[in-house]
Amino acid sequence: MTGKRRRRPPKKTSAAKRRPAGRRWWLPPLLFLSGLAIGLLGPWIWWLDREASLRFADRHLTEASRVYARPLELHDGLRLSLADLVVELEASGLRSGTTDRPGRFSRQGERLELHLPAFVFPDGPQPALRAALSLRAGRVELEGDAASLRLPPAEIGRLLPLDDRIRTPVALGDFPALLVTGVQAVEDRRFKHHHGVDPRGLLRAFRANLRHGRVVQGGSTITQQLVKNLFLTPERNLLRKFNEAIMAVSLELRFSKSAILEAWLNEVYLGQDAARAIHGFGGASEYYFGQPVQALDPGQIALLVGMVRGASWYHPLRNPERARQRRNQVLAIFHETGLIDAATRARYANAGLGLNPGLLSGGSQYAAFMDLVGRQLRADYRDRDLRGRGLRIFTTLAPSAQRQAERALASGLAEVEREPDSLQGALVLLEPQGGEVRALVGDRQGGRRGFNRALDARRPVGSVIKPLTNLLALARPERFTLVTPLEDEPLTLEIAGSEPWQPVNHDHVSHGTVPLLEALAQSHNQASVRLGLEVGVDALFRLMRQLGVEPGRDVHPSAFLGAVSLTPLQVAQLYQPLAAEGYSAPVRAIREVMDAEGELVGRYPLRLKPVAEREALALLDFALRRVVTHGTARSLSGLLPSDPGVRGKTGTTNDQRDAWFVGYTADWLGVVWVGRDDNLPAGVGGARTALPVWARLFAQLPLRRVQPGWPDSLEWFWIDWPQARLADEHCPGAVAIPFVAGSRPSDLSECIERRGVWPFRR
Amino acid sequence: MGISDSQKMNKQSSHSAALAGLMVAAVFGLAACAWQPTLDDPDVAEQVRAPAGGEESRGLQVYPLRNPAVRELERAAEAAQAEGRLDRAESLLERAIRIESRDPELLQRMAELQLARGDWEQAEHHAMRSWELGPQVGDLCRRNWQAMAIARERSGQVIAAGQARERLGICRLEPPERF
Repeated sequence: MTGKRRRRPPKKTSAAKRRPAGRRWWLPPLLFLSGLAIGLLGPWIWWLDREASLRFADRHLTEASRVYARPLELHDGLRLSLADLVVELEASGLRSGTTDRPGRFSRQGERLELHLPAFVFPDGPQPALRAALSLRAGRVELEGDAASLRLPPAEIGRLLPLDDRIRTPVALGDFPALLVTGVQAVEDRRFKHHHGVDPRGLLRAFRANLRHGRVVQGGSTITQQLVKNLFLTPERNLLRKFNEAIMAVSLELRFSKSAILEAWLNEVYLGQDAARAIHGFGGASEYYFGQPVQALDPGQIALLVGMVRGASWYHPLRNPERARQRRNQVLAIFHETGLIDAATRARYANAGLGLNPGLLSGGSQYAAFMDLVGRQLRADYRDRDLRGRGLRIFTTLAPSAQRQAERALASGLAEVEREPDSLQGALVLLEPQGGEVRALVGDRQGGRRGFNRALDARRPVGSVIKPLTNLLALARPERFTLVTPLEDEPLTLEIAGSEPWQPVNHDHVSHGTVPLLEALAQSHNQASVRLGLEVGVDALFRLMRQLGVEPGRDVHPSAFLGAVSLTPLQVAQLYQPLAAEGYSAPVRAIREVMDAEGELVGRYPLRLKPVAEREALALLDFALRRVVTHGTARSLSGLLPSDPGVRGKTGTTNDQRDAWFVGYTADWLGVVWVGRDDNLPAGVGGARTALPVWARLFAQLPLRRVQPGWPDSLEWFWIDWPQARLADEHCPGAVAIPFVAGSRPSDLSECIERRGVWPFRR
Repeated sequence: MGISDSQKMNKQSSHSAALAGLMVAAVFGLAACAWQPTLDDPDVAEQVRAPAGGEESRGLQVYPLRNPAVRELERAAEAAQAEGRLDRAESLLERAIRIESRDPELLQRMAELQLARGDWEQAEHHAMRSWELGPQVGDLCRRNWQAMAIARERSGQVIAAGQARERLGICRLEPPERF
């Protein structure tokens, strides 16, 4: 158009004269475009820059909360088997190997050397440390000056954030040096020098790819990869490349190299566990090797560094051969760049992948116990505060006891059942003094998720209830003692609004007049109902509520025979004060909760509460010992290598649907339930089915001899068993029985002269 | 369910009652300097540990062999308590109690820590447990009942506190003869 307006004669036309006209032609569009660029691109770059720094700053918002077992505290004289110690060490993430690196242990015969990784406990940090100990005759002997050695606790599960990423943030300084330099050697050698984008690196990658005819090197810098991981969607196009470059430069301008490298190490995509993506070397190390990143060897480091290129393509579990080749390629680069020597390269290039997939998502190995932890936490915290805030939750679980409990239930059921897999069971193991749950099994197949029978199977408890009725009776020493005669004879009870009730004994025989102690030890039903009627169902239910267990509303005298449905955990709660010599403590699975900053935000400390009926409890403790020595649980002595003084009670419900055994020693209280999920008659019995499972577990636990520390106000007398008459030591069949002071019988046996009877001490 | 104070006092012993009176006077002599002790007064534990009336320990003393791991934790707890880090002291004592749940000295330390924290109920219960498992004579016995007396006093159980003070005196005597 301009040309037309400024038409000149053809002869005057020349290149020189046309130039000014050409300049005028392109200037306005350029100005226009520049304006457009400044007007649009400026805000666009400003927005990218702002987004980059904002998202970089918030990237740590979600981190799974970790749940830890109780730390094992080793000290001289502690009873511990080698097998259990190894289970504990492995659960804590230690591996067998040379102990020059933290996270390893080595064993020569009875002697072990340990190199414990550093750990931040709720009462303070413990640095990485080396120690040695021996196990002689099943007892720990520590070497060196320390009187005790605390192992870092096993991580037993995670409360995963509601997003779909698995990550374990690690500070830059805590990554192994080889990993930090190694990733730069492989991914971005000029990382220290470039400003976010690296034209030279790009050119080198372009040439290499051209030479190989396929993509062998990516030109992206670590900063660009971080941007890709943090902010962008996976589509590939030029606009995205442009955004990525701008954001990379922006990050470089705003943050230090070390902050960027740390963020990249924690954000890079390193594979997939079902629906969850694994981000960062910390999480990947735990996922693939079951170890903290600090404990990795050069081979494992090379494997993870190699996966950055393509985490699915080089996935070591799915494509082990490809992963091995890639690892060796990375080892070669490490060697080329002088990070490792030839010997190290050769050694690890020939080694296996070192995989040990530890905690898969959510930690299914300890699913039943995690379920309990989750429920106890939810009483005090909101779900969204529990997940994704990086809390550290310290619990009471003992991994070695858990392992033994799972085995005891699985093998015990397999042994007693008539048809395979017909029975189910649950097991609860407490440390009674503090009420701490050491093991919890909710399914015969340990670690299976789903119906958690230890917490959710409410089943009639049968004769397991009887000690409570006896406790209430014995709390009235003026009326009841252990030798009070009870009638074990048929009886009929009129129940308002329902059929008359006629309780029968398990053996369908009535045993006549029996001492209270004998009625409990042999679990006679008719005598128990008569005793129950004297104390009342209301009193029984009140006692259960006092002990923290809700018995329900069905106030029927059949409750005296255990027609009360409870879970195994509730039964454990009922027996805890008995096993703890009269001090009740709430059953708990959690000790402490720390936040991500290391502040203690929750404590569940030891709380003692003496039960009012302490003398009666002491008498009951004696009676429960008699159950094991002379009563329904006497088969136990053949099942334990030695009896440390176990107290216990069996329970069997109508038509042999449920079998229970509750037993305790000084250090442990165990509850076993066995039955069928469909609640059909299962042909089980307390002594026949549940007791052997309990015994299998307790045969593997370190047991100390029981020395009850009951009140001194009890008096012991020789009794002319089974008559409620005083005797003495020399009378045939005399039995020593404790009494609350002043409650001894006054009748004398024919065997002794009337010269006076004195209490004695035990 | 509270403590059933089943241990009835032996009223015949006016001698012990006089001694107990003397010790109570000593304890409250110390307390009087601090005006009226406040709820979270860390000196309460000091009152329990201070030898009564500046006298030497008398009567039967029992010093059982103790687990060195427990002693180490106990010392650390003591240091934490001295720095005023009562939560840490409690955690350390709990660790020790998990190792030796029947160590009466340890349970008494916990009772004294709970006094310093102002948890009167737990102070009383731990002191009672310590007494039950302990030698029931000598210094530990005296500290048991002193802690129970203070805990009961502070929680308003005047009569029970008085009974605990009377028990203090019996700690001096030879152990009861066992039949």
